[in-house]
Amino acid sequence: MELYIGGYAQGKLDYVLKKSGCGLDSVVDGALEDFADIGQGKEIINHFHEWFFLKLQQKEEPEKIIKQILSKRKDLIIISNEVGCGIVPMEETQREYRERLGRCLCDIAEKADRVERIISGLGQKIK
Amino acid sequence: MIIVISGGSGSGKSAYAEKKILSLRESEPLYYLATMQIYDGEGKKKVERHRTLREGKGFITIEQPLNVGEAAYAVEGRASVLLECMSNLTANEMFINAGTGLPEGLQAEARVMDGVRRLAKRTKHLVIVTNNVFEDGKRYDEGTMRYIETLGRINCRLAEIADEVTEVVAGIPVEVK
Repeated sequence: MELYIGGYAQGKLDYVLKKSGCGLDSVVDGALEDFADIGQGKEIINHFHEWFFLKLQQKEEPEKIIKQILSKRKDLIIISNEVGCGIVPMEETQREYRERLGRCLCDIAEKADRVERIISGLGQKIK
Repeated sequence: MIIVISGGSGSGKSAYAEKKILSLRESEPLYYLATMQIYDGEGKKKVERHRTLREGKGFITIEQPLNVGEAAYAVEGRASVLLECMSNLTANEMFINAGTGLPEGLQAEARVMDGVRRLAKRTKHLVIVTNNVFEDGKRYDEGTMRYIETLGRINCRLAEIADEVTEVVAGIPVEVK
């Protein structure tokens, strides 16, 4: 399993597609679809943070769901924005989102075989 | 030795900072300088979480939400100190000067840096946790912008005097200096 993180609009998906040789048909978009039952043909989860936020809004526990998915699928590539590097928001749901997503990404990074941070379309391998 | 550890919310910077100071510490006393002022249940929860993380690791906790230099008198000579965190300390220092007509940003910067230097003289290892609040690209009200600028300047000053600067990303330390 691999994790690719970085700020907004840093070219993360392009970088991962190019590197992995996968096509767009192997990508699940977390902003648009739930991937709890992710199929074998899909290898890349894009916009992981958007999915995480949706799950929190639905009062579900995204940490548990992704843990279950990753226990079955060791081949997945996860792409997520980093959202913790700003002023702590006034709104409680936003604060909770940042904090919980951050911790979840720490867990995923710990399990991942490879972690890269994408800046301006370039990958910085940090694990 | 001064070590600065930076990262965003939930980046794992606290856990890493603890690991770091525990790995450096030999037999000298070990202190945790807590800077957070508790206003509500959420703050309380946060403090509790950090307390649990530190439990059983031998830290002596000093509550120092202001005047961090004063802690230099409280720690026993040549100690190892974990100071957490700069974003709270800066906010606290700016807040008490707000409305007094004093340029709170510059005041806070001078007080914080003076305090850190005094602490550094008394300690064997000083690990300072700070926060990356700079990358959400938003324009805030004047007071918040001044806070961001002040913390930014403090981070630059800290990095200048630090022997090591590390950024923590998803729990992974990335060397900066």
